[in-house]
Amino acid sequence: MAQAAPVAQPDVDLTYEVPEQVTLLSDAWRRLRRNRLALLGGAIILLLLIVAAISIVWTPYPTWLEAVGPTYQPPGAKHLLGLDAAGRDILSRIMGGALITVQVGIGSAIILSLIGIPLGLIAGFYRGRVDVVISFFINIWYGIPDLLVALILVFVLSDALHLIPRGVFVIVVAFALTRWMDMARLVRGQTLALREREFVEAARMSGARDFAMLFRHIFPNALGPIIVQATFAIPAAVLFEAFLSFLGLGLPPPTPSWGAMAADGYHGMDFAPHIVLAPTLALSLTLMAFNWLGDGLRDAFDPRMRR
Amino acid sequence: MHAVDGIDFEVDRGEIVGIVGESGSGKTMTALSLLRLIPEPGKITSGRILYGDKDVAQMTDDEIREFRGNDVAMIFQDPMTSLNPVLRVGFQVEEAMAAHRRFTSQQARDRVVPLLQRVRIPAAKDRVRDFPHQFSGGMRQRAMIAMGVSNEPSLLIADEPTTALDVTVQASIIELLRDLSRELRAAVILITHNMALVASLCNRVIVMYAGRIVEEGPTRAIFKNPQHPYTWSLLRSMPRADEVEKERLISIKGMPPDLARMPPGCKFHPRCRFRIDRCLTEEPPLAEVGPGQIARCWVLMKNVENPEAEALK
Repeated sequence: MAQAAPVAQPDVDLTYEVPEQVTLLSDAWRRLRRNRLALLGGAIILLLLIVAAISIVWTPYPTWLEAVGPTYQPPGAKHLLGLDAAGRDILSRIMGGALITVQVGIGSAIILSLIGIPLGLIAGFYRGRVDVVISFFINIWYGIPDLLVALILVFVLSDALHLIPRGVFVIVVAFALTRWMDMARLVRGQTLALREREFVEAARMSGARDFAMLFRHIFPNALGPIIVQATFAIPAAVLFEAFLSFLGLGLPPPTPSWGAMAADGYHGMDFAPHIVLAPTLALSLTLMAFNWLGDGLRDAFDPRMRR
Repeated sequence: MHAVDGIDFEVDRGEIVGIVGESGSGKTMTALSLLRLIPEPGKITSGRILYGDKDVAQMTDDEIREFRGNDVAMIFQDPMTSLNPVLRVGFQVEEAMAAHRRFTSQQARDRVVPLLQRVRIPAAKDRVRDFPHQFSGGMRQRAMIAMGVSNEPSLLIADEPTTALDVTVQASIIELLRDLSRELRAAVILITHNMALVASLCNRVIVMYAGRIVEEGPTRAIFKNPQHPYTWSLLRSMPRADEVEKERLISIKGMPPDLARMPPGCKFHPRCRFRIDRCLTEEPPLAEVGPGQIARCWVLMKNVENPEAEALK
């Protein structure tokens, strides 16, 4: 007869060395810290946020209408970045533009996530007919020229909501409505994989509600890729706003949007290049910073990079 | 296709029943159907699953959700992947209680540390805030068991609870299961292919083959007088520590049958060393072969003279 298993003494009294607490985020941060480009990107973004915050309460000169000196004045001690075609202080307007950029970027990422994440979770978790319908819409949306639709949406929305002149809100919603699919598709894929994991199965067996499984078990485990995706959505939204404003279809003229400022200075490029250079440089730096940080985050959240 | 067919058994409070069989014999499917959790596209086509006087097969979705985890808990084979890697262990134990209404949220919070102590996790107070990857395999299985018993279920299903663990911690996990079943007066269904585990823990054994029960009875009777050739072969195919030598191990030839191409007659006959002509065409019924012992066989081992010699021929 096989023998009864020997009884092990419970080792309750032994002391254990408790390993350092490592969470998903602290682990990612540990790896991100080693990535210089990502850190530089993060630093630029931090600067952008600070400048945007300051611009709410203080700018050297008014940012909107008032001319504060001669038109086309080149950079100097009094006006560090010079004056533009209407005699407005460019530094002040760049600062105001930073606030708009932050609003557009972060607002878009949030709204886009609010649309994409629930749709992806639902499609991946319930599969079947629900997934077919949601995936169908995702694919249809991919087939539509997003810029065109976003443009139309900007006009339709600002009309419908009586938001004339057009505000940041309209731009953000138009962008999110045309670019939510990447997020939805990513989350759907993550959910499809995660729902088969044993801890989700274990939760189901212990009688967890669908809501608990989705938001306690699946969503937190997909957080890494979601953060990366949202980070990449920010520069796309910023570029979209700048592009629309450059064309004169975005934020209306006196608004200190970097895109609109570049458009303003465009005519005087031969003799006053500083007017174009300031907003375009600010824009490029911002876009690069977000892309560097996004790349860094992607590597940092990749479990295969774990060392 | 029927992965399991005509399974009929009872488990009483405080009883530990072992279900043994090879991989693919339908052990896990049987357990999953008790919770109505058969993976798609499978489903329960007929039969009843009675818990007390409630039929699990007829429950509404809300009832079944309340039933899972509250009345019945399941413990899995691999504790490495059964815990959510991004949530703290204590929180997950608390969650298991929050899914049901047996305890208020304050009670649930207060119960976490005692539960972890009860499953003998050392320094439980400090370790409730740990993440699963900071736990060893044995400790994770203990945490899983803590989650399983947190709602004081009256039935505990353990699906190969020690298979993925180091040999050194297996014994203590088994001991823990036995103690808990006694304390909770819970019935335990232990699914395993480890006969030694069954012998040391179970009151009763169910042997499954090809989705059917081929033999069932008290552990002692099954180990002493196995009547089905499959049970007999299973017992003869493993080395035993207590019998010094003299016996040669006997392997079972072939593979368990493909569900899509079940043999006619007795499902075990292609691999059986004792088959008679009747086995090829007619499937035997489960018949009483001893006190509390039933077997599905036309021959029965008690009618075979010198089976070792026969098998080694």
